[in-house]
Amino acid sequence: MTYSVIGRCKRTGRLGLCIATYSLAVGGRCEGVAANVGVCKTQAFPNRTNDPLGIKLLAQGYRPAHVMEILAGNDSEHGFRQVAIMDRDGWVAAHTGPGCRGWAGHKEAADCVALGNGLLGPQVLDGMIAGFLAHPDDALEYRLMRAIEGGRDAGGQGPVDAHRTERSAAIKVVDRRDFPDVDIRVDVHETAVVELRRVLEEFKLYEEFYRGRDTDPSKAIPQDVFVKKLDARRIKEQA
Amino acid sequence: MTFTLLARCPKTGQVGIGIATYSITVGLYCTGLRGNTGATMTQAFVNQGNNPLALRLLAQGYTPDHVLAELKANDSNHEFRQIAVIDRLGRVAACTGPKNRGWAGHVIGDGYVAMGNVLAGKPVVDAMAEAYEAAPEISFERRLLAAIEAGRDAGGQVGNDGHLAERSAAVMVYGDYDHAELDLRVDLHDKAVEELRRTFEEYELYRGYYRERSRNPKEAMPQYAFVQALARKQEAAR
Repeated sequence: MTYSVIGRCKRTGRLGLCIATYSLAVGGRCEGVAANVGVCKTQAFPNRTNDPLGIKLLAQGYRPAHVMEILAGNDSEHGFRQVAIMDRDGWVAAHTGPGCRGWAGHKEAADCVALGNGLLGPQVLDGMIAGFLAHPDDALEYRLMRAIEGGRDAGGQGPVDAHRTERSAAIKVVDRRDFPDVDIRVDVHETAVVELRRVLEEFKLYEEFYRGRDTDPSKAIPQDVFVKKLDARRIKEQA
Repeated sequence: MTFTLLARCPKTGQVGIGIATYSITVGLYCTGLRGNTGATMTQAFVNQGNNPLALRLLAQGYTPDHVLAELKANDSNHEFRQIAVIDRLGRVAACTGPKNRGWAGHVIGDGYVAMGNVLAGKPVVDAMAEAYEAAPEISFERRLLAAIEAGRDAGGQVGNDGHLAERSAAVMVYGDYDHAELDLRVDLHDKAVEELRRTFEEYELYRGYYRERSRNPKEAMPQYAFVQALARKQEAAR
């Protein structure tokens, strides 16, 4: 049981995914996000080699639909997997194997695919899509975050009499470089989506500071000084 | 302000990292592990391009010393970086640039580097190395965790106004595959090393179940049933 969204920012070409699930440490199983290549996400009963392979095939120039055919041919248990693929141009392919348990399905919309299994119902996918589409001008990480919150608020995982909380969640966004722009995780938590939002908001406060330490370290203030300034600003804003 | 144990396991050939720091979301920066290739980490004032570049150079066959020389030549701010590089044979190179802040340094051992900056002092990296070497019979990931716990216990990080908490931490291990064998993170927490240990011990209970579920989905029991069985087992053990 998991719900996730893969997406692309048409303006910037950034690519990413956001995911929440009952399983632990789900962010440790999200290798399939590659700058200027695409996104490949396998879940339900995941085949861990699918995502790196899918990315290599996209990088070779295959379209998502053909990559999916190859993944199907390469995996005797493809019927138990749920897979979504998007390339840098926004082409997509998605598959929900008949072996996925509970209510399971996927749905495409502009620059995104929402997918999930063990869900309350199709309204969870609709909640994710609505969240993603709500503010198309926002940075991709916020659109993805809002999508997952939309999925959660639409009921998330489990049948109506057995709701399953989100115990882990993650968000990952790449831009043009080899390393991620945003890569945030909550691995074991009782309300992982709430915690992911908290960490994301905190990360955004540090993002420029951390980038500056990389590109222009001689001008960087010590981090404990930065944190003090941040705290002072927060106190002022609360007042 | 970070302390790290980067290593290659001589028994399994796995590469891994244990890391803790005052900065948040440090796992985001740990992009330098690849099975059968090597391990690398740039910290202090991070150059995020270093890790992917160093892995490519290792894959090309450069020695760690030569990789380090290339990273230096490629970066006008090299003296601000703290870097470790280990290849698939366990050969090691490391450097702590003169513009690292606070007490900063590294120790090199057999197939590993303990390094840190803005630390309480050299005892922190010595304690990490010692803990990593202390119990070679336990699993590689447990050795990495023990190392950062020892670094914490030896005083960890010290900033302008005294001790700095570990606010994020991570432990990662790569083996034969393109994907991580273990990849656990704590991104924002008051006691990130303790929380990482808690996360690890919890995840260990699920690890075999997750692996088997991927391999043989037909016969996998639902996760909720697994969780209930786990709770019963823990109750009985008490």
